[in-house]
Amino acid sequence: MTEDTVFADATQMGGTGEVMIELDGVVKRFGSFTALDGVDLNIAKQEVVVVIGPSGSGKSTMIRCINRLEEHDEGRIVVDGVELTRDLRNIQEIRRETGMVFQQFNLFPHLSVLDNVTLAPRQVRRTSRKDADAAGMELLERVRIPDQARKYPGQLSGGQQQRVAIARALAMRPKVMLFDEPTSALDPEMINEVLDVMKDLTTLGMTMIVVTHEMGFAREVADRVVFMADGQIVEVGTPQHFFEDPREDRTKLFLSQIL
Amino acid sequence: MTLPTVVAESMLIPPPEPPRPPAAGPGDWVRRNLFRSPADGVVTVVAAVVVGYVLFRLARYVLVTGRWDIVRVNLKLFMVGRYPPDQLWRIAVALAAIALYGGLIAGFVRRRQDDAQAAGDAPPAPVWWRQVLELLARLWPLVIGVALLLSLTTSTGPSVIALAVVAAAVVGRLAGSRLPRRATAVLVVVGIAGAVALVWFLTRPVGWDDWGGLMLNLFLATAGIALCFPLGVLLALGRRSKLPLIRAVCIGYIELFRGVPLYVLLLLSAIALGFFVPSWLEPPGLVVRAIVVFTLFTAAYVAEIVRGGLQSLPRGQIEAGQALGLSPTRVTFLIVLPQALRNVIPALVGQFISLFKDTTLAGAAMGFLELSEVSDVANAQDAFSGQRLAAETLPFVMLLFWVGCITMSRESQRLERKLGVGYR
Repeated sequence: MTEDTVFADATQMGGTGEVMIELDGVVKRFGSFTALDGVDLNIAKQEVVVVIGPSGSGKSTMIRCINRLEEHDEGRIVVDGVELTRDLRNIQEIRRETGMVFQQFNLFPHLSVLDNVTLAPRQVRRTSRKDADAAGMELLERVRIPDQARKYPGQLSGGQQQRVAIARALAMRPKVMLFDEPTSALDPEMINEVLDVMKDLTTLGMTMIVVTHEMGFAREVADRVVFMADGQIVEVGTPQHFFEDPREDRTKLFLSQIL
Repeated sequence: MTLPTVVAESMLIPPPEPPRPPAAGPGDWVRRNLFRSPADGVVTVVAAVVVGYVLFRLARYVLVTGRWDIVRVNLKLFMVGRYPPDQLWRIAVALAAIALYGGLIAGFVRRRQDDAQAAGDAPPAPVWWRQVLELLARLWPLVIGVALLLSLTTSTGPSVIALAVVAAAVVGRLAGSRLPRRATAVLVVVGIAGAVALVWFLTRPVGWDDWGGLMLNLFLATAGIALCFPLGVLLALGRRSKLPLIRAVCIGYIELFRGVPLYVLLLLSAIALGFFVPSWLEPPGLVVRAIVVFTLFTAAYVAEIVRGGLQSLPRGQIEAGQALGLSPTRVTFLIVLPQALRNVIPALVGQFISLFKDTTLAGAAMGFLELSEVSDVANAQDAFSGQRLAAETLPFVMLLFWVGCITMSRESQRLERKLGVGYR
């Protein structure tokens, strides 16, 4: 096996080598538009994968299929040994194992910051309020805003809101974190505080898939970078390979446009 | 070439406004706002004459020419219809119980708010007498209405009852703030059970079909509101269901009841309900029929209002709940509904106010002795017949409704502000 094939084959993994997420020929259509056109990708436990590509390339659709916010039309998706089917119990189980952070934060505006974080543990895991509050405060400390616990999301800055959203996703103790352009809706001065929290997570061994346009972040923390275009994975490789020696013309074109 | 410069400057930079002369007293204010030009002066004078004349006639009518003795004599009829006089203590007890419960809720809610704010940096609650003043200012229409009613009474009984009711509310308020934080579920159960018990208690001497006056209007409206709200929410959710059958049933229901007049429904239920009730079952009484009609009718409107609220919610809210692994039911009741309902409070309360006023239609359609019928009955009495005193009784009825509606409206605005804390 040459170095070339390692990087070109999307199913090859970094990280621990133990598979956490398996996408196998995944196809997703919206009407006549094919958003995902046969995506194969394996992601290992504790691996950090950054997905980049032009808008409309299917990056968001791919990670939204992984926790079934979108239903894929063909192919197989397996998360931690559980295959996603129409069975609602399977879907719920996978959603409990995967935390998601959205571009628009999507915090619950009618709940306090702490209640945003503790809602799911209390309701789904049946944690007592006392334990959930304690765990929630711990998470808020990890994202560096414990002093905002009693406030409401509308009273926070965008960067703070996104950090609360990360804490909320972590509260279910997920094995995988999905980030859907987490810094795209932020003012420039707030991007770093969110990226710093995300970097922290990588040191804890969290499996992460990050859709982002932050190339610095990709270069620094990604185990692998996935480049998508037109619903397909065009190229996969280490950041070093990817930014310094891309193979595919489309990758080169994209990088020349954004760097 | 200095001229162009001057022109350009005057175009770009508006000349600084002459500093407003310091307020030179009321005369100056009148000159500036009412008599700035001759035309202004004419308008001011004409408007003042018209308004002054109307106010004068109104005051003369209320204070001098109006024959309010018809209201004074029939005050009990207006309030409680033909409820047996020796059983009126039951109503007093009921009012006190309601006030006690209201006070409990108020105290409980206040305590929880104070707890939540203690962790933040909000100012502490004001001292008790300020809170009383604020409450009076908040409920001024109700306070004035009750004071007016008490001024019309000839005995001391009603004043004693009013004092007892206020005392019950105070006791409830103080006790409520000492309840444990987790008493919400208990309070809800006590409220529902208490409501049922109260109705049972009040129907001991006379069944509700023989109730009358303001009491009947309030009972019909309260029962209708309490029942139509959950039904309407369910219909709104059903209309968005993924199951075609449920969706079709809900749409059919909503469009049917929105498409027919309430008055006709009331008339029909008074006559035709017997066709649907099996012969071995005693057909329900008129009040039950009226409540059923009000509930079914208003629920259709509530459903459409709530649907609007559901649609106003960004899709990301639902996705965030789903992504956390919350079940569809939990997403609906913990995330979607709280926000959707808050967004439609004004429209919902508008519908409830409308229902309260429409209780007068039940009198006309079914012959209840509710407020507007009491007006007719009073005018048919020997002492007052043929004297066209509806000009006194109907404004009185209007005043009672207005006090109820304005109170609902003001309280809903307050609720909206409270729930809006820290919103987007």
